[in-house]
Amino acid sequence: MSLEELAFLALALVAVATATAALLVRELVHTILWVAIFFVDLAAIYFLLDAPFLGVLQLGVYAGAVTILLLFGIMTTRKRFFSREAATGIGPVPVALALVTFIFLVSALGELPQSTTTIASYDPTALSANLFGPNGPWLLLLGLVMLSGVAGAIYLVREGRE
Amino acid sequence: MTELALTGFLGLSAALFVIGIFGMLTRRNFILLLIAIEIAMNAAILNFVYFAAFPAGTNGLSGQSIAVVLVGFAATEVAVGLSIVLALNRVKGTINVARANELKQ
Repeated sequence: MSLEELAFLALALVAVATATAALLVRELVHTILWVAIFFVDLAAIYFLLDAPFLGVLQLGVYAGAVTILLLFGIMTTRKRFFSREAATGIGPVPVALALVTFIFLVSALGELPQSTTTIASYDPTALSANLFGPNGPWLLLLGLVMLSGVAGAIYLVREGRE
Repeated sequence: MTELALTGFLGLSAALFVIGIFGMLTRRNFILLLIAIEIAMNAAILNFVYFAAFPAGTNGLSGQSIAVVLVGFAATEVAVGLSIVLALNRVKGTINVARANELKQ
């Protein structure tokens, strides 16, 4: 087993463990900690896949901004919901549905070639040329969606409604 | 040069996606629901990056470009979701999604 495969195995195990822990721990602040580790772990996988721009983007947007936003949301709402109604048990149906989805997805993996491939690495300059060239319309769409998202968010949290 | 097999990556993606689905089905707290959606979305974004890194064709870079755009979409989604959390907390006094059932009644 090569060093890269070992690194990927370790990163994958950490990703699955932290994602599970984030959804199962009781204290919400601990959830944020686990989710931050999960996002940093994904950034490391991007670096392993020779996608440094996406790795840095993941660190900045997810491990930075999204984590802080979620923490802010918890801090402003945590006073009132630590009642019994927030704690829900895990019924058999969601577990069964998740297992069936997993088996379905993993069984599709058998169709793929098992051989290893050399990872293709790209220059960030080439990525930017591609992002602003052929994929420019997607960026424009993203800008429009972000604009309407910000407008909607401001409308929702505005004081003095109703 | 890094050499890896595609199947391990796709297995990781499948596992993360299923964890996200599981969280969406079992959690009642709106913020945990958002986190579960983010985990599932990250699994999808990871797929784009894998297939960009395994150059069967010539469109590898497009995968990474789409992944960049998807990260932006996911960030917007969290912002809107959190504003819904704040509005729900102000109107109902709780962020339990089981209590937000006016449309059902």
